[in-house]
Amino acid sequence: MVIEIIDIFLSGLLMGGIYALIAVGLSMQYGVARVLNVSHGEFIMLGAFFTWSLYTYCNINPLLTLVICGPVMLLIGFVLHKTLYRSIRISSGGGAAFEGNSMLASFGLLFVIQNMAILIWGASIKGYSYLAFPVNMGGVIFPANRLVTLLFAVIISVAFYLFLARTRLGKAIRAAAQDPDAAGLMGVNINQVLALCFGLGAMMAGLAGTLLSMSFRVQPTMGLEYTLIAIIVVVLGGLGSIPGSFIGGFILGLIGSIVSAIEPSLSLVAYYMLFMILLLVKPTGILGR
Amino acid sequence: MVKKYIVPLVICLILFMALFAGCTQPSTTPAPPSEPKTGGEQEPEPPKPEKDKIVFGSVHSISGPLAIIEEAAFGPIRNLWFKDVNERGGIYVEEYGKKLPVELIEYDDKSDIGTMTRLLEKLILEDKVDFILPPTGTAMLYAAGPVANKHGYILPGMSGGATTIKEIIGGLPYFFSNLNFSDTQVPAFGELVSELGVKSAAVVFIEDLHGVEYSGAVVPEMVLRGVDVAFVKSIPQGIQDMSAIIKEAKAADVDAFLCLAYPDENILCVSQSMELGFNPKLMIFGPGVCYTFFKDIFGDEGVEGLMSWGAWNGKSTPESQELIDKIGVANVDWWGHNLYWAGMQMLEKSIEKAGTLDQSVVREIMATETFDTVLGPTYYDENRMLAAECHTGEVGQWQSGQFEVIGPKNKATAEPIYPKPPWPGQ
Repeated sequence: MVIEIIDIFLSGLLMGGIYALIAVGLSMQYGVARVLNVSHGEFIMLGAFFTWSLYTYCNINPLLTLVICGPVMLLIGFVLHKTLYRSIRISSGGGAAFEGNSMLASFGLLFVIQNMAILIWGASIKGYSYLAFPVNMGGVIFPANRLVTLLFAVIISVAFYLFLARTRLGKAIRAAAQDPDAAGLMGVNINQVLALCFGLGAMMAGLAGTLLSMSFRVQPTMGLEYTLIAIIVVVLGGLGSIPGSFIGGFILGLIGSIVSAIEPSLSLVAYYMLFMILLLVKPTGILGR
Repeated sequence: MVKKYIVPLVICLILFMALFAGCTQPSTTPAPPSEPKTGGEQEPEPPKPEKDKIVFGSVHSISGPLAIIEEAAFGPIRNLWFKDVNERGGIYVEEYGKKLPVELIEYDDKSDIGTMTRLLEKLILEDKVDFILPPTGTAMLYAAGPVANKHGYILPGMSGGATTIKEIIGGLPYFFSNLNFSDTQVPAFGELVSELGVKSAAVVFIEDLHGVEYSGAVVPEMVLRGVDVAFVKSIPQGIQDMSAIIKEAKAADVDAFLCLAYPDENILCVSQSMELGFNPKLMIFGPGVCYTFFKDIFGDEGVEGLMSWGAWNGKSTPESQELIDKIGVANVDWWGHNLYWAGMQMLEKSIEKAGTLDQSVVREIMATETFDTVLGPTYYDENRMLAAECHTGEVGQWQSGQFEVIGPKNKATAEPIYPKPPWPGQ
């Protein structure tokens, strides 16, 4: 019985690490750049496809791909914000109008990226086996690749948090998140910071995609399911809160694991039930302002 | 006073006329062909009507979730048929006195049923195609059936099917069913289970028509064969983690694990079974396992011994290898490509025999005649479902990179591998 409980708990942590990584990027994009990026999952999909391509055609280790995929996605996100979202921000005059318009634009982006992926990689499912063997830890068996995924998810998330908390650039980002106008008056180049935040969000999504591709299938339509999970986690953790998203990811993973152990058919229902209850009871989330 | 009512009266009159005009649609049932004239006086032969091609219309899922199946299963075989027929000069139609090349008008339904039915009607009413082809997957096919029937268009149903089709096909005389499904596959699997001496099993099924149908057939079959069913569990589409179920099956130490789901869930189940070291003696999965992409993901060693529904290969009939060479072995769907091809061959031969593109005449020939196809002598039963005797196999198994037919016994191309070999590197 004790082993079963430990098993469920650790399985939840394994999924939770992935969810946390997915959500941190979206939280960054919404919390600072004020873009509710519905196409967030498409960046995860791109990261997964980059990794699959590099592994399949160039035999590059998926973990090494992290250092290639991260900067590429950062650049894509940065350029996207500089071109698309900055124009929308200027034409909307900021505020709620920008949030609405940018969300609609990201819907469009979702279809553009998804269809581009279909044209490049085809619609069929891709995947590969990497570290696909069991690891026995005190009688409890875990997949090696998911343990590695959890480890890297925690390292990346903690490094990201330290970057925000300890560096000068991180301070500028936090200032922009609190009050962009005041941050601008204090000498922060707000356009650069917002574009960087969007780029960092895309980078986190890309890294999550790389790690996901080690354990899950890869296909052009995979993005939306991860976007939905990311939105639930971000709301659970508190809109715009990076530590909140991290904690929220683990909580969602644990809930999924517990429900799956009792009744697998209700695992996805549990996520949405949690989402609705949260919106009714504590709409600001765990660490939301 | 009179002026006050003139404008409303005119509007009512226009609406009334428009309403009636809308109700008087042209007859959609094609007229029967005229009887040939008999008699002593030889009339000069009337000039043949002009037509330079036969236009087929197809609405299928180029984008959206169903695009995976479209790309892996139906797209390649459909395109190949058009290429093949045109290379042979087309289909001979006596009414026009020549071979007519075939042309395809295709639309993307974005994996949306509403879009599919709308575009299907567009193909029939606006594009006025000569024939239509089936959309992607069972649910789409079910929705397309009534539309095709309403307009008197033959719908060859090679892209999906389920046992429940038997309940509705009687009211859809233009619908033809080509795929094999649980009513013939599960009994063959049952025979196999008895032959192999399987003692216990765990069943997982997806919460939709496919999963409910297959689990509803498989579980009683297992019980009938004296197999102890440890558990039957449903999973939702899009499930992210099946480790709890796999660990439960591992703890129960079952001989057989049945995952009656779609490619997404089947891939997750295989990868997590591998990762958790769960290797029962028999593993069978739903659609996807017999597609080439599945083998590409896990490799020849990874799929060795895995079973799925189907099945066919180059040894099934004398013409099978020729078809595989045409498709290219890397692109073959080992469940339905030969059935799809046979369906198209039956349609082609029916048109040739009818000598006309008249749907009702072609339909009558399709429903009643026997044709030589890639399956051998092929025909539909009284319900316009491909006769079970024409199937090339019901259960298949990956063996050394080849999808072998292992059930029923009289159609088998290889002996089943039992128990399943260990996962690679374990």
